[in-house]
Formats: sequence, C-alpha cells, structure tokens
Amino acid sequence: MSSSAIEPESSDLVCQLDNVQGVVDALTSVRWKKQQDAVLELSEHGIVLIVEETACLQAKVYLQRELFVRYEYSAEGRPRFGVSLGLFVDCLNTFSVQGHSSAIEIRYPGPDMQLLLKSVDSSDSCTYAEIRTRIPDTISWDYNFEPAGSTPLSFTVKSAALKEAIDDLEWPGSSIHLILQPTPPSVTFRGEGHGDLQIDFMYHVNTDLLAAFHCDRQVSHRYKYKFLRATTSNIPSSVIRDNRGSKLTIGRGGMLKVQHLVSVAKPAMPQPHIDSAGYQQPSRIAYIEFFVKPEVDEDDANDT
Amino acid sequence: MKFKAFLTDNGVNLLDKRFLPALDKMGKICHLYLTRDHIYFLHNLLNGDGIQSIAQFRKEALFDEYRISSQNDDRISFAIDLSLLHRALHSIISIYTEFSATDNGVPGGNNAPNRIQIKLVKKLPPHSQQPMPFLTFETKGYKSAVIQDVPISKPLSRSDVLELQAALDMAQDLPQTLIQVPDMHQLQNFVDKMKNVGDVLNVSISKYGDLHLQVSTTLITLGAEFRKLSVVGEQAESPTDDQNLSAQSRTRITLQRGDAMTVLVSVKHFFRSLQCHQAKPDCAFYGIAQQGACLTVVFQFFIPGTHQTDKAISLHCRLPVLDPGSS
Repeated sequence: MSSSAIEPESSDLVCQLDNVQGVVDALTSVRWKKQQDAVLELSEHGIVLIVEETACLQAKVYLQRELFVRYEYSAEGRPRFGVSLGLFVDCLNTFSVQGHSSAIEIRYPGPDMQLLLKSVDSSDSCTYAEIRTRIPDTISWDYNFEPAGSTPLSFTVKSAALKEAIDDLEWPGSSIHLILQPTPPSVTFRGEGHGDLQIDFMYHVNTDLLAAFHCDRQVSHRYKYKFLRATTSNIPSSVIRDNRGSKLTIGRGGMLKVQHLVSVAKPAMPQPHIDSAGYQQPSRIAYIEFFVKPEVDEDDANDT
Repeated sequence: MKFKAFLTDNGVNLLDKRFLPALDKMGKICHLYLTRDHIYFLHNLLNGDGIQSIAQFRKEALFDEYRISSQNDDRISFAIDLSLLHRALHSIISIYTEFSATDNGVPGGNNAPNRIQIKLVKKLPPHSQQPMPFLTFETKGYKSAVIQDVPISKPLSRSDVLELQAALDMAQDLPQTLIQVPDMHQLQNFVDKMKNVGDVLNVSISKYGDLHLQVSTTLITLGAEFRKLSVVGEQAESPTDDQNLSAQSRTRITLQRGDAMTVLVSVKHFFRSLQCHQAKPDCAFYGIAQQGACLTVVFQFFIPGTHQTDKAISLHCRLPVLDPGSS
C-alpha cells in the first residue's frame, strides 16, 4: 500500500516529464480499440511502448530520453513489462491539467513491480498512481522491417491528407490496394468493395501534399482496411495543427511502415516569428511507427 | 391550493443561468416545494438512493408578490421535470426581454411594466377529459402574450409533504469538519478523468485540512491529495512529522489517530456534485457526516460584491456512501 519506503537505488528507472499531454497524445495515437495490452521496454535510450494486433499490425511509440527532464536509468539489460494501454493513457491523462505545466515523475519498479507515477510540481497537492504490471507475452510475430530492394520505396505525405484519404476509404472498406509507380510519380489508394474509390497523390502536381517520393519500379500491395485505419485513426490534433508529414515505406514482402512525429515540447510561449513547422525544440519529438502486414493470396504481393 | 408570483430579474437570472442548469445535472425530476417563505428544489429526498440535493431560496430571492395558500399550512409540493421547466423559462425570457427592450426604446411608450408571472393551474390538456396540473409562465411580448405550461405531478398529499419536510429537516445536519475545495474547476477536471479509471472513490477528510481522493481497482490505484485547505468546524494542528510520508501513509496514520474520516462514494456521484459549480457558488466545502453516514458538499454564495454569505440562497448535496464490500 505504501509507496514511501522505496529506496531510490532499487529503481531501474526514475524519470521526469514536463509535458504529460504530449505523451498522452503520442500514446493515444496507437490506441485503436478499447482493450489493448501494451509492452513497455526500458533502456538507457528511453522508453518504447509496443502494441500488437493478431500478428498483422504492430505499433511502437519511441519516447527517447531527450523528452524527459530527468532520466536516471540503472537497470542491467532491458526490463520489459506489460500494462493495459487504455488504463495507462487514462491514468497519465489525469496528470495533465489544462493551462498548467504538469510535471510528473515515473518510476519502475515499485515494491510490487508496479509502475509508479506522481506529480512533482506542488507541495500542497499531489497526484499519484500505481499501475499493476504483468509479465509480457512473447512477441508473436517478427516485425523485422527490411528494405524491399536496393532503393527504398517510400513517400512522405501531409499527415492530415493521409488521414483524410484513409477516412474516405471507409466506404468501399475491406481491403485497400496501395500502388506506387515511378511514371508518372504517384501514390494510389484503391478500395474495392461496396463500390470503388481511388485516391491518387501525384508527386509533380502537388509537391506540398507529397513532400518526398522514392520509387524506381511499380509496386502494389493489399492491406486490410481496419489496419490501415488504425494507423491514422487517433493521430493527435497537434500533428495536424503543426502541419506535419507522415512517412510511408514499403519493405520486403510488402510490409508497410507508417511513421508519424508527435511533438512533446513543453507548451512554448507563442513565437510569431517562427513558422508553423514548429522546429523549436527539435529533439522533443516522439516517433510513432506502425507496421502493417499485407494481405497475401496467390495472385498478390508481386513486385513488378 | 393556490400559488401565484412574479419572477424578479434577479430570480430569472439565478434560475435560468445558474441553478436550473446545475440542478438538471443532479437528475431530471425533482420536487419543487413551496412554503410561505421559501422555495426548495429537492432531489431524492423521498427515495433512498441517489444524490440528495437541496437548493433553498428565500422567496424574495426569486419572486415579487408571492402568494401561496393551501390547507396544509400553506405548503405545496409537486414533482417537475427540470429540463422542461428550464426550456419553458428560457423561451418566456426571450419574449420578455424582447418586449422590455422595445419598451425601453420608446420613452413613455408603455406604462405597465412587463413581468413574468408564474402560477399553479389546472387545465384540460388537448384530447383529454381529465384536468391536469401545470406550472404556468405568462408574459407579454411586443405584439403577443405568451403562456408556457409545464406539466407537473399531482400535488403531494398532506402526509407526503410532512414526510418531505421531515426528510428536509434531517438533511440539514452539517458535518463537524468541512474543508474548502481549492479550485473547483481543476478538481472537476481531475475527477472527470478519474471516472475512466474506476467506479468507486475513497474520500478522506482530516481535521488538518487534507482532502485525499483515491480510486483503487485490481489493476490500478490512482489518487490525489490536497493539503492545507481551509477548515470550517472542528480542526486540529497538523503534526510536523508526517511531511515526508506518502499521501497513502499519511492518511492511514491520520485515520488511526482519529483525526480523519473516510467514506466510499460513487465516482459518478462525486463528479455530479462538482457540476453544481454551474450554479456559480463562491466557495464549496466537503465534509463527512457523523458515523460516515454520507459525504456532504456545501456551496456558499456571497452577497454580490462582498464576502458575506447570502443567506437567501443555499445549496448542498449529500452523496450516499457505498458499502466497503462493494468496492
């Protein structure tokens, strides 16, 4: 019951955050359903949170040590433990107070292997939490992402546009073809189901929308709509507001990697002379990665 | 049985902007209880479960020319749907202000001051043979007169009114120690998020001015402690040796010393009690009734522009406590 008797030396990790909301945003972006088990992996470089679904979809949130005001790591190896993602996010969220810079301390493990959180910014009020952890399951599927060939197959698109396109594809639903072709350089999302819908991003027509494009041969893969949707369904509003881009890469076997950047910067004073790209505090970014396995059947998954 | 009065501008403002939106959060249906001097909005006083909320107004706070008569010592009570009442009042106000604005624009244009009348009537509703009771609002617009009828229950019988009065008398007991909530809005925000984590809230209140809230399930314990709050009633000096303890240890020791009380309440009830914030009270105090019978929250209203309690308005809620076994 008591959390007072913990010796600081006994903790693998003691770290402090000054922007809880940014971390809540980052973790929310991988929350695609109500009940999700997450694995947290601690290291000297930071904290990685991993969630998976039915061996077809994996998401990782990288919270590097630079995001923390204080990061004291003293474990041997890399401790891993499981928590309920929903509970973890809801709990962190209670520490985030609007209009307040809410600083919190995160400590692991507690006397009963709990994850301990506590607010540190006021002596007369204190919020604390103890989250029960569990021994994580072994990762069921190897998500090693390898390049599909000597040149990368990737493009960077405005996160807002990507989300909008994927939202629009809900209507045809079921499975979505993603086609990259070098001439003319373009990205196509095509859904066939209850009617057809095709969305094209043309590289030369709108370089603002499609910021980068690397493709030397036509590739086409099919992905389950619900997994594609999970990659953008909870993109935090700050990503859209900051006008950020998302990078999509197709790897060997058609594995799709989707990367987003979420700002975990301390809410800064308004700086009108800095443009909306938000490059102040460049290191205070959480990286989000999704790995989506393609749908495979006999006439599919052929790199032509 | 007769009731007729005119709503004052202050009364319109109190009900429309502050109390009806807040009371609506407590529950859709409440008892409106009218006596010679007071008007009460009462939630859950006659049935055991749910938050009891008691809003009391002196007649002058809301009405002019307040007339009431009944064979039951001039007391009338009935059940009313607060959202209907609010809608009717809101609509009548829009007509009333339109007329008043025009009236002011034309000097000497209309001598009769515009007012909102409220009265109890029995009417035949359309397609019915049976007259039904209504609470009726009436006012004049620029070119029209508007009447809004709010359906109400049959007035309570003499014995039910006596029972209501007895429950009201019982509910006036205040806890021995009350502590002042520092920032209502912040607390509301916090408890709103806490709702996602668990259903049962452990509330501990000490004579030192400490408020400790905790939700605990098999997977998580989440809590918040607020210290050095203002205390009204029985208080004690905070021991100096507990500064470095965790909130949980400190509360445990204070409870053992007999300087604190603790109860379990529903997180949803607690959140709802905080929503009374909409009535714009100037302060709020929490306290635990004797023997932990309930958690009481008392809202205090000041006379505008002063720090003196406005005795014409009062609002407090009593949250039922849960059996420790149910957590």
